[in-house]
Amino acid sequence: MIPLMLELDIKRKDQKGRGSFDLWLPLFLIWLIALPPILLLTPLILLAALILWPTGKGRYILFLYLVIFGLIWHMSGIKIDIQSNKKIVYLNLI
Amino acid sequence: MNEERKRILEMLSEGKISTEEAERLLSALSQRSEINQGMVKNEPRYLRVMVEPGVGSKNKDRVNVKIPIKLIRAGLRLASFIPKDAQDKVNEALHEKGIEKDFTKIKPEDIDEILTQINDFTVDVEGKETVKVFCE
Repeated sequence: MIPLMLELDIKRKDQKGRGSFDLWLPLFLIWLIALPPILLLTPLILLAALILWPTGKGRYILFLYLVIFGLIWHMSGIKIDIQSNKKIVYLNLI
Repeated sequence: MNEERKRILEMLSEGKISTEEAERLLSALSQRSEINQGMVKNEPRYLRVMVEPGVGSKNKDRVNVKIPIKLIRAGLRLASFIPKDAQDKVNEALHEKGIEKDFTKIKPEDIDEILTQINDFTVDVEGKETVKVFCE
């Protein structure tokens, strides 16, 4: 499923919490904004792929477009938690 | 209550089978469901990488990464977009390290096979740091 929220939490231990922040980014708003350009671009990309098909590059354009969609779609569930003596970095894609 | 169990009990109540027969049938049924449950292998959903400080280590860094397997699958498909020159360089680097595997010959089917079998994949290294790589 497409990630809808991004949680980025950075805590600095060495500066008594200064420079620490907890960010919740509503990715669904970004997808809503990005949706119209993507929909507009899709026929153009399909057309470009069709024109370039005889050269062999059309297949790559189409495939790349689908792979990028696949990558974005499956990004939810990523969790990265790094803790050191000075800093804690936590990233969560929901 | 499932259909088969219900039918056995109905047959017992109608007198078509004896209590011993019903008991035998019910125990056979439960054994079969246990075998089926054991055979169902859950597909892994995440690849986990955990790095923790080892016993007595001064370094207290910890890393905990959780990556969806589907994302890895999608990412590996990008390998086909790596230019030929870069693929050759990867092969050269692998040969230098003694890995005689031609990177360019890995097909999407091979990737699927690797990811299907990754369920049983576990790496456990203990030293200054404890590194665990596994699927869940």
